[in-house]
Amino acid sequence: MSGTGNVDRRGFLKGAAVAGSATIAAETTARAQTAPAAPKAAAPTAAQMAAETQPPGEEEKLTTEKTGSDFMVDVCKTLGIEYMAACPGSTFRGLQESFINYGKNSKPEWLTCLHEEVSVGMGHGYAKVAGKPMAAMVHGTVGTQHSAMALYNAWCDRVPIIVFTASAGPIEDRRPGIEWYHTVQDGAATVRDFTKWDDYPWSLQGFAESTVRAYQLATSQPQAPVLITADGKLQEMALTKAANAKLSIPKLNHPTQVAADPNALRDAAKLLVAAENPVILVDRYARTQKGVNDLVRLAELLQAPVVENRGRMNFPTTHYLSQWERSGPLLAQADCILALEPSDLFGQLTRVRDQIERTFASKARPGAKVIAISTHDLMVRANYQDFQRYSAADVSITADGEASMPYLIEAVQREIGDRKSAFEARGQKLLAAYKGLADRARAEAAVAWDLGPISSARMYAELYNQVKDLDWALLSDGGFSSNWPHRLWPIEKSYQFMGGSGGGGVGYQPVAALGGALAHRDAGGRTAISITGDGEFNMAPHTLWTAAHHKIPYLTIIQNNRAYHQEVMHIQHMANRHNRGVENAVIGTTMRDPNISYARIAEGYGAVGIGPITDPKDLGPAIKRGLDAMKSGQPVLIDAVMQPR
Amino acid sequence: MNIGKIALAALAFFAMPAASSWAADAANGKKHFDNDGCWQCHGYGGQGALLTGPQISRTKLTFDQFLHQLRHPASAMAPYEEAIMPDATASDIYAYLEAMPEPPQAKDLPLLYVTKSK
Repeated sequence: MSGTGNVDRRGFLKGAAVAGSATIAAETTARAQTAPAAPKAAAPTAAQMAAETQPPGEEEKLTTEKTGSDFMVDVCKTLGIEYMAACPGSTFRGLQESFINYGKNSKPEWLTCLHEEVSVGMGHGYAKVAGKPMAAMVHGTVGTQHSAMALYNAWCDRVPIIVFTASAGPIEDRRPGIEWYHTVQDGAATVRDFTKWDDYPWSLQGFAESTVRAYQLATSQPQAPVLITADGKLQEMALTKAANAKLSIPKLNHPTQVAADPNALRDAAKLLVAAENPVILVDRYARTQKGVNDLVRLAELLQAPVVENRGRMNFPTTHYLSQWERSGPLLAQADCILALEPSDLFGQLTRVRDQIERTFASKARPGAKVIAISTHDLMVRANYQDFQRYSAADVSITADGEASMPYLIEAVQREIGDRKSAFEARGQKLLAAYKGLADRARAEAAVAWDLGPISSARMYAELYNQVKDLDWALLSDGGFSSNWPHRLWPIEKSYQFMGGSGGGGVGYQPVAALGGALAHRDAGGRTAISITGDGEFNMAPHTLWTAAHHKIPYLTIIQNNRAYHQEVMHIQHMANRHNRGVENAVIGTTMRDPNISYARIAEGYGAVGIGPITDPKDLGPAIKRGLDAMKSGQPVLIDAVMQPR
Repeated sequence: MNIGKIALAALAFFAMPAASSWAADAANGKKHFDNDGCWQCHGYGGQGALLTGPQISRTKLTFDQFLHQLRHPASAMAPYEEAIMPDATASDIYAYLEAMPEPPQAKDLPLLYVTKSK
């Protein structure tokens, strides 16, 4: 066969097939006797030469100066979106090129992420700090699937993110294979249960209107992520001047938020003023410093204790009416409870005993009046159960808590009458109780002070000592470390705390911290700190590369208990319930043998890695070293080997 | 102070009579405290954690109260019945908790006073 020289590939394959297996033995014999000839490239036929070297019959235009994706960039620019985070995907290749070239990679700036969960999840942290959404672009089908958990967390936490995905367009234009795998008729279906709105616009004008509408909906209360599908053909179509001139981008108007019905507020004010022991429960209430200040004003007017559920920074921890540590006795004696944006009113008012027979008991005293001001009921879906158990308030006000607060204050002022002296006496008792809280926290923090692994109280005390003179902000909540930041730290400014994950999807913390740190960097270079569990970090360690690449400095302290500790406790509980002992509870729940070297992982991604730190005495100097390294714009990780909580 | 030092301190107390009918062995109690998962919720030093379990170091409970809590937790704590923790073992753990050294005084820890001060 090698002697024929001009057999083309198709002809060779055909001949081989005809020859069949009968020739194999003879060929093998021949190869054993002579060295194989070097393979020769088949010479192209005249037709092939013509096809590859001569212009087509009519002149084909293969380039264009402006495309649909350029217009899509124009749309995003009118919205003032600062950042577009993405892990690359071919379904949005047109858009990506337009953003980085036509859009000059500025407002929005393209941020390179290594997983779609990071692209979307960093927007979660960013929005809570910046007070406005950023955008993410996720690959068709597979990228949306990767982003789903981050979207769910943001949905549960009522946080806006503008997410774009893409699809390859009509079937006659798709490349075989991969573009079919990455195209879906209804790209939002995967995440529709936990996005506020979505659309797949079929024209550029539709893209403009849907994107502006999506932004407006995402940022209206209750806030949530939205998703727009950018059709592949629309992205890559040539856009003539004439066609472009017909397009328009609607103006974005920020609507006013839903404030409470004045009559309902009057009823609420009467109950609050008449109460002997009112309590204010607060969860995802404040978005701004004004919201915090307004709540302080209401609490002081009523001299009512504030029980913080820490969904946001709602109330200064240094104010004597901050009494969340006394929530048990306060709720037990409360005759009126005002709940502001509770994510789970039933849960906040109910004590559950998680044994074989689960039992439920009210934390509130019988007959206590409950007032709820919340946007919770404005965004309820049927499938995912994040709406929590039904709990009827006596006065249920569907409205935005922060927008309603000035009117509630006015209503309370009108009702106070001669109750002022009684309120002042109540305030004195609360002040005395508050002072006791600080002493108790210090005494409890001292108990395991010198132990190794490091106690969480010691870690927060060492950390605060290093940042106390800086403009600091926490990017993590303290739920997995006994809420020590709220017990020990003076959290007074709105931006110093941003709540938790919302949906409890593990992996939120490193990812949201990246976005929050970006917003703090842009706000003038605050010192941003994330206390990140080792289980959390392992879901997205590569966030550190994005931070290093884009010069986003923040300090991550790995709260390294070498376990998914919550799950350790669950398995222990099950083992004991079954009378089998806890010995095997470490199987499937711990990360030991080998221990993971987080500092080396950080270094591998271009961040500064410090640790492992095992002796509490070494932690302060390590934190100082980390903060010094951050000054050059680097992300820093400290691996602190710590007690479980 | 590390866990090893606590163990030494505990050993010094192991001969103390517990409020039970067993000759309590604090060293054995420490072994079970470590192996039977007590520290997972209450911390290596028995310091407690706000959301998982209260302080049990130098417990103020009587042994009977302690044993009742083990067998029939009032809270969501995992129950420890006789089958997996005999009374004698519980007694040893109780002795270990009682023998834990007194923690440092908060007033002697300046770092706790640079935090929330109001």
